[in-house]
Amino acid sequence: MRYLKLYLYFLRFSFSKALSFRLDFFFRIFMDLIYYFINISFFKLVYLHTPLLGGWTQPQVMIFVACYLVIDAINMTVFSSNMWWLPYFINKGELDYYLIRPVSPLFFLSLREFSANSFVNFFMAFGFLIYALISYPVPFSIGELLLFSALIINGVFLYYLIQMLMILPVFWTHSSRGFVDLFYALGLAMERPDKIFKGWLRIIFTTILPFSLIASFPTKIFLEDFEWSALGHLVLVTTIFWILMLTVWKIGLKNYSSASS
Amino acid sequence: MIEVNGLGKDFSYTTKEPGLKGSLKALFFREKKTKSALKDINLKIHEGEMIGLIGANGAGKTTLVKILAGIVHPSHGTASIMGHTPWERSDDYRRQMALIMGQKAQVWWDLPALDSFLLLKEIYQLSEEIYQQNIKYLSETLMISEQLKIPVRKLSLGERMKVELMAALLHNPKVIFLDEPTIGLDISAQKAVREFLKDYQKRFKPIIILTSHYMEDIKELCKRIVIIKDGQFVYDGELSQVQKMMGDEKVLTITTEQDFKDEKIQAFGGKRKSENVFTLSIPREKLGEMTAKFFSEFAVLDLNIQDPSIEDIIESMMKSGSK
Repeated sequence: MRYLKLYLYFLRFSFSKALSFRLDFFFRIFMDLIYYFINISFFKLVYLHTPLLGGWTQPQVMIFVACYLVIDAINMTVFSSNMWWLPYFINKGELDYYLIRPVSPLFFLSLREFSANSFVNFFMAFGFLIYALISYPVPFSIGELLLFSALIINGVFLYYLIQMLMILPVFWTHSSRGFVDLFYALGLAMERPDKIFKGWLRIIFTTILPFSLIASFPTKIFLEDFEWSALGHLVLVTTIFWILMLTVWKIGLKNYSSASS
Repeated sequence: MIEVNGLGKDFSYTTKEPGLKGSLKALFFREKKTKSALKDINLKIHEGEMIGLIGANGAGKTTLVKILAGIVHPSHGTASIMGHTPWERSDDYRRQMALIMGQKAQVWWDLPALDSFLLLKEIYQLSEEIYQQNIKYLSETLMISEQLKIPVRKLSLGERMKVELMAALLHNPKVIFLDEPTIGLDISAQKAVREFLKDYQKRFKPIIILTSHYMEDIKELCKRIVIIKDGQFVYDGELSQVQKMMGDEKVLTITTEQDFKDEKIQAFGGKRKSENVFTLSIPREKLGEMTAKFFSEFAVLDLNIQDPSIEDIIESMMKSGSK
């Protein structure tokens, strides 16, 4: 409850800040429109050559695309600014004031900046998802939609956890970005149906770098016959990553040297 | 009450020779070194005490403050502040502690200070009554009521420091760490901050640990000082006692009729102050012998004998570390 109140303050601060930079505001929207256009066109193009991709038809893939666009938009809005600053904060000793407050510093540092600019894009992505769901030949039940929403939120959370685990090594490496570039390079795997990966690549993307679990598994569980094993796998990996992230964070803080001014 | 026993902090670092060649070499072969920023610190501070922590850059002041504020984990030793181990960072401890760093801002840069204060109110879960009361007291004593509605980035450095002080003290902390609170401020702003701290200490009696480069701050505010050099305490005691420790030394200021050669005064261990003035410190028992010598060697216009100032003594302790 208290944390919700704190978050409302973050929102207020971020909005009043964003509105004072108008050009940036419109530019962001424009950039993301291009990004959405490219993503959707890519799959439309693929389906000109094949009726099925990774076992999915075109309407199914459109739901998948909408799913990862929504997850990406939520991540951009809620976490990305904070993730951008975190390595810098760790290196420059800027964690100090977050560590002395009687609230979780992890909460503060992960959610402090809400990108009001990307918020508009979240609505566009969400609109596209609704469109993809309505255009689907078979209607969905409320239960299915609720499950899908929960899985999307889980996807956002997992996306955040993977990102954090790529950033936190900064506590030791003192590099400027940690392994975040690796994260963005491999992040492309999130934008492909999981079934196109075979063999060891598939094992990697569903376990140690679980990009396939972010959007592809939710779509699979939602559209295909429900399988407990897929859901269990998803929950298990998310939980392990959560514990892992908290552990690394704790050890990292012990190592935090708070570079002096 | 603060009690610190055998506290130490080692930092490890790697060295690299300059240039591209050095970088290439460092890629495969790195020398790992350890530096002790703090060695075996013992310290006891009682309720309501305000102590000044003095030391050169890199002496370990800030590291000590950061360990006690719970930000940095020590390599060894224990510390207990009102029964809490600082680096465990319990909410209970953090609620009673404040840290102000003159070089790092804590208020939201783009927003008026009052917005940041509202967030702090929520973080520390202050009641509306206490919040209003503290805002009123702090803004009036610091004379900053008018500026609280202006985005912080538009305030002057002095005003910003006052806002930082307000932000740190809103929750009535019982232990306050002040790291260089007057750094970069002009004389009148320094004075205002000093006056405020004096008043605040008198009223609320918190434990305050103050580090500052300005002796003026320390002299005005602290009865007790700790001098730290290379991670160790070289003095811990009353400020007024410092002078007695060097009671045997006298400082001579000599004005000569004409300019003199540097080599000549350096032979005595003197320091040039201006064209025809130099100073040096000598043991009391040699005073007669030395003055006679000066009169024979120089055309002396004026000769002044004084006790060394506190600044001089502390400076020499920070350098030589006499115990």
